[in-house]
Amino acid sequence: MNVEITGLSRSFGRTMAVAQVDLRAGPGVFGLLGPNGAGKTSLLRMMATAIPPTSGRLRLLGRDPGSYGPRREIRRRLGYLPQNPGYYPGFTVAEFVEYFALLKEIPAARIPAAVAAAVERTGLGGQAKAKLRTLSGGMQRRVGIAQAIVNEPELLLLDEPTAGLDPEQRVVFRALLRDAGQHATVIVSTHLVEDVGAACTEVALMDAGKIVFHGTPGDLAARGQGHGTGDAPIERGYSAVLAAARS
Amino acid sequence: MTAGAGTVSRPVPVRPGRWPAAGRLLRLELLNNAMLWLLPVAVALFWFTTYRKAMAMPPLWNMRARALQSGALLAFASPVAGAAAWMGSREGRRHTTDQVTVTARPRWVRQLATWAATTCWAMVGYLGCVAVLYGMTARQATWGGPLWWPAAVAAASLPALSALGFAAGAAVPGRFTAPLATIAAFFVLGLSTQLIQGSQSYWQVSPLVAAPWDIGPDAGVATFYHYLPDLPIAQVMFLAGLTVAVLGALALPGGPGGTWLRRPAAAITAAGLLAAGTAVALAGTGKLDAHGMIAIPALHNAASDRPVRYTPVCSHTRIPVCLNPAYAGYLPATVGALAPVLTEVAGLPGAPVRISQAAATYRQGPGNSVGVGLAGPSTVGRPPVFRLLLLDQLPGPAMTTSALAAALRSNAGPAIVAGVTGGGRGASPAQQAVTAALIMAARGPATGSPAGITPPGNGFGMPPPGPAPGSPAYAAARRFAALPASTRHTWLVRHLAALRAGRITLAQLP
Repeated sequence: MNVEITGLSRSFGRTMAVAQVDLRAGPGVFGLLGPNGAGKTSLLRMMATAIPPTSGRLRLLGRDPGSYGPRREIRRRLGYLPQNPGYYPGFTVAEFVEYFALLKEIPAARIPAAVAAAVERTGLGGQAKAKLRTLSGGMQRRVGIAQAIVNEPELLLLDEPTAGLDPEQRVVFRALLRDAGQHATVIVSTHLVEDVGAACTEVALMDAGKIVFHGTPGDLAARGQGHGTGDAPIERGYSAVLAAARS
Repeated sequence: MTAGAGTVSRPVPVRPGRWPAAGRLLRLELLNNAMLWLLPVAVALFWFTTYRKAMAMPPLWNMRARALQSGALLAFASPVAGAAAWMGSREGRRHTTDQVTVTARPRWVRQLATWAATTCWAMVGYLGCVAVLYGMTARQATWGGPLWWPAAVAAASLPALSALGFAAGAAVPGRFTAPLATIAAFFVLGLSTQLIQGSQSYWQVSPLVAAPWDIGPDAGVATFYHYLPDLPIAQVMFLAGLTVAVLGALALPGGPGGTWLRRPAAAITAAGLLAAGTAVALAGTGKLDAHGMIAIPALHNAASDRPVRYTPVCSHTRIPVCLNPAYAGYLPATVGALAPVLTEVAGLPGAPVRISQAAATYRQGPGNSVGVGLAGPSTVGRPPVFRLLLLDQLPGPAMTTSALAAALRSNAGPAIVAGVTGGGRGASPAQQAVTAALIMAARGPATGSPAGITPPGNGFGMPPPGPAPGSPAYAAARRFAALPASTRHTWLVRHLAALRAGRITLAQLP
């Protein structure tokens, strides 16, 4: 298992963002669904080693991120796209991705090929020399994805990755997710349930800091039969599970 | 996403992998550094505030070097601190903190690369300015060579300012941090010199201090005696310590489990603070030496106190005028100003056989006042040699050639005559009359003294007091001056010994 979480909690002041979460995930695409404020981003940030948990046990790629050495090893194998990724407007696409390749300690000799591959996979080959300030929001999002996958991560964490992408790009992005999920654990946090239905092999639904559902997208859709609201079966399952959790 | 994007695949422009990772990181930071954009500002400030002023100074290495240290530092301080603060706040401003935090390379390494790139650009600009200023000086100067210590102090200031600005930006990553750092750098540097009192002041460690404070670039320093690197050594030590301490402190707020980095970082910070503190303490023990430089006992090399050996440049006049070769450009004006007086006294018994430029002596006064002048009498030795101090050797604004010549005519000329006739202070009316007559004959102008300088003796060449107009001595002087030069000369050859002994009365003058 690449992700093993047991009783994980995280609080910010008096607010409990993540409460006693248990989760295990192996290779494949894992969808993390939930309404705004459910704790998805906090959980993802803990998995990304951006913030430490308040309590609980977290093992990533078979290592404990609480210690410096293992954490560094995890980070070498980690890709992370935050919910609101930042950019350096003066960098070109290639420079920005190369910058992250260097920070991820990819061997120098492999960097040019890794950058080229990441830029190509995100469809930015034609804009590789363009300054980030000249790109649209969707393209900048793709640059964020490129930096996340430049090291061919074993654990890829994506927080709202399709926000700002046009429908065509979202379809292509899902293909990229499926491809990455062949040999890595990809955890996608989103509240766009159609993304989950199309790309994920497993899904968890969070509400109020807790995981209230864990199964396949088919299981989630099945929960909505005869219950819930929404146009698609998985949307109805989503609303039905949430309603049940809150009742 | 390639297929969906529908773009034509072409090679991504990334440099081949022959560079090491650190080099690649530095290269990226160099290409995207705010200091690169501020370099023209810094260079323009240097040109306006330093280069033009330095070029207006006489082409003496010591003056140009000291102007460089203070001027270049002020020109570069604000842009460097501002650019560093801007770069230091980049992650916070651009909201990349989470993205870069979860990478394997430690934050410190990331920050060092950004700081190093900022410093590199600042250094490139500064060294370019040094090259131009020193290059022009090399073409103009007649003697000596570049002084590297003042240049080194300003150079060492740039990493320190960059580190301070960077730390400010990293600690408070707002968009106003950089402008505030820019302003603060200027005022902190400027105010650092306001607390200097005398030569024994801890504040002399400020890199702006290129000389005993309030003297400023002084032509008389480091020409006749070696440049003392005592204070610059303390300043460089302070700046290096400060840089190390600030950079070490950047690694202190590490994440959980970062003890392995925090411990060495704390040790580095402590070592930097120790070095900086030691340098401040050393600067506090500095003392103005007789040659106008700050000597720090713990750093002082006694060999530096030996005078510089040089072959003077001399005029081919009956009484040669000899100057330090650094002042060779002054020789024609000096000879032109003194020639009439030298013609009057040449061949007289007791007349100087040579006019020789001497080094000024410095003495710390109360507060920041410094007495500058010649130590001892102006005429020394047998045969007598008149020791000359050019006004440009004294603190103050650089003089034009004509102003220098006028000052020599009104001060050194009469002093040379008085040295021959014995017409100094306490002279008899006859001595005063003869002295005044020779000055009149040489068309010496009115006497005067440069303002703001306190000569410790009469060696500076202060003119002797002349007879009051309308007095018998004044009438005798006019009468004696009106005589043909040969008659005056013949009379003086016969009676100069008696005149100097005070045995000649006014009535005995022809």
